[in-house]
Amino acid sequence: MIDMVRLLAVVERDLKKFQRNPVVLGMSIMMPIIYLIFLGNSFQGKLQGIPMVIVDQDTGPYARNLIDNLRAIEAGPETIEIFNMKDQKDAIRSIREGFYKAGLIIPPDFSKRVTLKRRPEVGLFLDNTDNISAETLRIVVKGALNSLDARYVPIRERTDEVHLRGVDLYRKVDYYQSLVPGVVIMAIFMGTLTTGAFNLVMDRFLGIDECYLLTPISKSDIVTGLIISGLFITTVIAVLVLAVSMVITGIPVIAGIKQYVSIIIVIILTTLGLLSLMFVILGRFNHPRVVGILSGFLNVILFFPSGAVYPIESFPQWLKALARVNPEAYAVDALKTILFKGAGLSSIVSDIAFLSAFTLLMMTISIVTFKRTV
Amino acid sequence: MGQDNKAIEVSGITKKFGSIVAVNNVSFDVIEDEIFGFLGPNGAGKTTLVRILTTLVKPTSGAARVAGYDVVKESDAVRHHIGVVPQAMTSDLDLTGYENMDIYGRFYSVAAKERKERIKYLLETVGLTARAHDLVATYSGGMRRRLEIARVLVHRPGILFLDEPTIGLDPQSRHVVWDFLRKLREEFTMTVFLTTHYMEEAETLSGRVAIIDSGKIIALGSPSELKSQIPGNDIVSLTADKLSENIIDTIKNQNYVHKIVIENTTIRVYVDNGAQHLPQLIDEIRLSGGKILSAAIHEQSLEDVFIHHTGKSIREEEVRKVSYLVGAGTPQKWGR
Repeated sequence: MIDMVRLLAVVERDLKKFQRNPVVLGMSIMMPIIYLIFLGNSFQGKLQGIPMVIVDQDTGPYARNLIDNLRAIEAGPETIEIFNMKDQKDAIRSIREGFYKAGLIIPPDFSKRVTLKRRPEVGLFLDNTDNISAETLRIVVKGALNSLDARYVPIRERTDEVHLRGVDLYRKVDYYQSLVPGVVIMAIFMGTLTTGAFNLVMDRFLGIDECYLLTPISKSDIVTGLIISGLFITTVIAVLVLAVSMVITGIPVIAGIKQYVSIIIVIILTTLGLLSLMFVILGRFNHPRVVGILSGFLNVILFFPSGAVYPIESFPQWLKALARVNPEAYAVDALKTILFKGAGLSSIVSDIAFLSAFTLLMMTISIVTFKRTV
Repeated sequence: MGQDNKAIEVSGITKKFGSIVAVNNVSFDVIEDEIFGFLGPNGAGKTTLVRILTTLVKPTSGAARVAGYDVVKESDAVRHHIGVVPQAMTSDLDLTGYENMDIYGRFYSVAAKERKERIKYLLETVGLTARAHDLVATYSGGMRRRLEIARVLVHRPGILFLDEPTIGLDPQSRHVVWDFLRKLREEFTMTVFLTTHYMEEAETLSGRVAIIDSGKIIALGSPSELKSQIPGNDIVSLTADKLSENIIDTIKNQNYVHKIVIENTTIRVYVDNGAQHLPQLIDEIRLSGGKILSAAIHEQSLEDVFIHHTGKSIREEEVRKVSYLVGAGTPQKWGR
């Protein structure tokens, strides 16, 4: 079925055409990296700089303690940014106008009530339309109130309390770094979407598919040839994206040659899996607009359930089921295992097995269902 | 190939797209080494038939053999023996002329050395040697067409299919392509199956012509045979200011007039010896109250054969459709 001369002609044709469009290569590398920078900075693991206004009508010692505690959070984890106001009504209006996410009102008798232990209260007015910020602020203020007496640290250590001793099994991985496997997968996704089967769609759209369908070239020659050229292009893109992402996020290059070989193997298998999946999905279309519409859709249903941004364990059952047949999920797992745990091939055998089986199945379907007629 | 030297045998081919019958029970043979022209207006079913014969479309019913092989059951063998220049431009814009030919040759597994020699020779024949290493995107329509005809010869096909080879080309480029095709015929022996809606093209290139309309063959024979079926030997086209029954009867009643066809205000009169009878005809019309605005005499062409059989002109439908076919390929349906 496969003839090497014809197969290589398909590969060369595709590579030559790609090479004549250097802008595409540049964009394929730049976009995932820009994505990394944007995602890493806009959607942090934790919130920062939530504006909050304080109206201190008490000015007593406990009010000062409370404000100091909050100031410590402002200076340390930078979760909040504190502003002061005199008038409660002004403060609430400012929240309504969107200047602050919350207003903390400390009533005039606060310190007195604390001292007398007579149900002291503070008021927290929240902009609850921003759910995430509101919840965080509630927790921050609660924390600040709990340690109101923290100044008076008990002299003796309490022995009746259970102590939690956390042990990190691996070196620290910050949020920015944890996005890298996902970004590499995204680069592979983009690469496989714009090579391989996309050539078929474009050839059909331009009406130039006839020129090879009329020749003795076989279905396997066409599909395999386009997968090989797509694999070459996408692997180059993915490796470059990985290298740049590691530099940007500061993932240490401590792994040995074995790790890098494993990473390349995972990248190649993921690319093959997605390329053959694209052939099955795009194989029959003849308009690039279809690819445009599908790119966003496929990215959402493949990328988000992949575990690249949120752990699969917390998904509802149906989404977990989807993740189990999602090649991107196996790819993310494999890359995380190698990059962050420093493991070798033996730890990702199941991922590799799935990706290989997936590729084989999809390739077979795409060759069998490929239509030679116009 | 069989002893009867048939390059193409078509028997009862029908192709339906839903309720539309594109090709309606068509049968004919193409003899080895002849140029067989398929003439008809746009939408007559020419391209569909070419696609059936070149294995791109399966017929709804009927059978066809090309180079002795069944186009459905032995499609792979058919593809080995044919070269096809589809109606739409199919060369790769992102590749050079040379690369287009080289990759095509490799699809046919033509050995490297032979490939190189043939490409060099063919590029020279079509006058593209100087532009061989430029991207096809920089070529004119005529250059691109010549490249595509040259490309299809890299594997020396026994049967060459040309679907509207000069569609969308300016008259000058058209003549260049024709000259090239004639030159090719002198150098290579091969059967050529040519479809066209240009009468002149069918007439100057083909040994035999089949005229097709609405999916059916309405006439088949050499251009001179076909023309001999039309009464008279000249055609006088007259434009009158008004046409009354009286005038039409007057024309019909002349003994040298064989037949008349009326299109709008133009009357086509099939006559013997037009140059001699025209003044007399004009006089008769004037006597019966008509006024002739213009008159022309021309020899019978395949156009007249088409009109004779269908009562309509091929040209009527031509102009509208050609403009968007230029270089853009055949308009296609969505979601194949």
